[in-house]
Amino acid sequence: MIELDSVSAALSLLASDASAWLYVLPGLVIGLIFGAMPGISITMAMAFALPATLYMEFLPAIIFLTSIYTGAGFGGSVPAVLMNIPGTSSALATTFDGYPMARSGRHNEALGVALASSVLGCLGSYLVLLLIIGPVASQVLKLGPLEMFAVAIWGMLLLGSLAGTHLARGLLAGAFGVLLGTIGFNSAGFVRGTMGIPWLLDGVPQIPAMMGLLAASQLIGLVNTTYLISDESARKISFRKTLSGIRLTLRYPAILLRGSIIGVLIGAIPGVGSSISNLLSYSETRRNAPDPETFGQGNPKGVIAAEAANSSSEGGAMGTMLALGIPGGGATAILLAAFAMHNIVGGPSFIANNKDIVYALIFSNFAQAILLLFVGLGFVYVASYIVRVPLHFLIPSVLVVSNFGAYAIEGSAAGPITLWVFAILGWAMLRYGYPVAAAVVGLLLGGLLESNLLRTYQISGGDYLGYAAERPAALLILGLMLLSVGMQALAKRRRARSAASEAGGT
Amino acid sequence: MTSQPRRTVVWGHLVLLAVIVVTVVAYLLDARGVSTRTTNLLLVQPLSIIALILAAFVLPGVFVRADSDEARARDGETPVQLARCIALIAALGFLAFSLELVGFDIATFAFMVFATAVCGERRWPVNLVFSALFTVLLIYGYGMITPFPFPLTVL
Repeated sequence: MIELDSVSAALSLLASDASAWLYVLPGLVIGLIFGAMPGISITMAMAFALPATLYMEFLPAIIFLTSIYTGAGFGGSVPAVLMNIPGTSSALATTFDGYPMARSGRHNEALGVALASSVLGCLGSYLVLLLIIGPVASQVLKLGPLEMFAVAIWGMLLLGSLAGTHLARGLLAGAFGVLLGTIGFNSAGFVRGTMGIPWLLDGVPQIPAMMGLLAASQLIGLVNTTYLISDESARKISFRKTLSGIRLTLRYPAILLRGSIIGVLIGAIPGVGSSISNLLSYSETRRNAPDPETFGQGNPKGVIAAEAANSSSEGGAMGTMLALGIPGGGATAILLAAFAMHNIVGGPSFIANNKDIVYALIFSNFAQAILLLFVGLGFVYVASYIVRVPLHFLIPSVLVVSNFGAYAIEGSAAGPITLWVFAILGWAMLRYGYPVAAAVVGLLLGGLLESNLLRTYQISGGDYLGYAAERPAALLILGLMLLSVGMQALAKRRRARSAASEAGGT
Repeated sequence: MTSQPRRTVVWGHLVLLAVIVVTVVAYLLDARGVSTRTTNLLLVQPLSIIALILAAFVLPGVFVRADSDEARARDGETPVQLARCIALIAALGFLAFSLELVGFDIATFAFMVFATAVCGERRWPVNLVFSALFTVLLIYGYGMITPFPFPLTVL
């Protein structure tokens, strides 16, 4: 199951490269700080830091970004507990019991519970990844261009249909993203949609476009928000009580395990991720608890369930991204863009040819999770100040840094101009209920979709049906794809009807 | 007799949808102008048509019932709040286009002063000092992390 040769190579890779470790601590701290600021999402933190990885080696760059991912996972729970505001969407369920705990004077305990659950959830998810990545690698290599096309389309459809409340808007966002991703040269040598702009020949600059869609657009939307400083109450931090929260978490291994399993499974599905897994884990824990009536009133089991699930989603999402090269959401899209920035193509061949790097990433994440325990303990002392950083200083500062990053990556004004155009697009999409992540993933996958479809066309000689009939895996994926999207459409219609009947009844 | 609920047009959504549709149609026409060979249009043509069909499905969502959540959300936003968003977008555009023309230092400082004010900082001395300090720290700090030659005018 675990390939020992690759494990040994991974350990020697990590032992010989000190720079791989140098970026773990800064990454965790950046993740914690950004995650703790309400309104700043995990993807925004990663998009903001992405240009800084341009001059790093590949492994340290990815470790730096995954450290931010890990840190932001716990960071989001700090304002959720202290101020009833989830720092990130994945910490929503943490507010249900975390804030009532804080209101009854148990904020230290709640932070300790959240920290321990995050650490253990993250460790658990990467343990699962360690066990399955070897067998998965050998299976995904069997995927041909038609299967890869079908998987990419499935991921896109799931992302478009699951994110947001409107199915058509989600699918339109994904389709529009894919079309934008095919601008420039295609693999058959045709140049389309460049409008005579030379720097569009290589396609839309992906990283500035992602920074615009994921980070700048959200910051523009926050310009009228002042909630960062709405709660002025100071809460005293106690190291001893935080530690007692950590001990309390260990008393509920079943909730931790359930949350971690839900997190890994949900995290692996494109479009779902940690923002859904924390809610699902919370509701399952509440449903199975002997004391469901105490949930929502400061039950630490609710915090454990939510935090274990949202932090373990990271491992699931990483698994899909590493195995298939298909990002499940904004955070893994940024990781895939970092791969591309270092001239590395993610997907089946990467995992098969670079198992040592994949195992090194997994081991590094074990270390990140353990280090998070100690950094997080120190962080809770300063967190209550960080959550009150005024947005009127933060928004312009982050926008300027994003522009510098976009310029450094492209080496010309093409970066900032792309960032600006996509910031406007992302802001408008967010405003009118379009899932921006679907457009981002479409933009990233546009080229892959077209080249795989083109290859399928060339291999099959235009006889798609005959070719597909010889590829049962592709047919299975297409069948599952149609089934899952059909079920999503039905579920959304049912929800809309019940909402309408409730509105009519009142 | 029951009266039909009044519907309002969400103009911003209509503009976004129009931008998407115009972009898709222009891209499709451009791609067809380059070549009508299958290897050129294999993905672009069917996907453009699908996107246009999806846009047609989205279109009724532009005309929302006056008592819907979406209409209420728009009503809750004042013109000043929308103007602040647009002012920030305009400032970001100025920054993107002026970085190379006037230098990163001047463009950054000007953007910081304007954007900090737009975001709600009313104390001008605080704004000017913060913007100046941030510009200097960013120019030198970012230069250390990313050894990229940013065009400068003053610093």
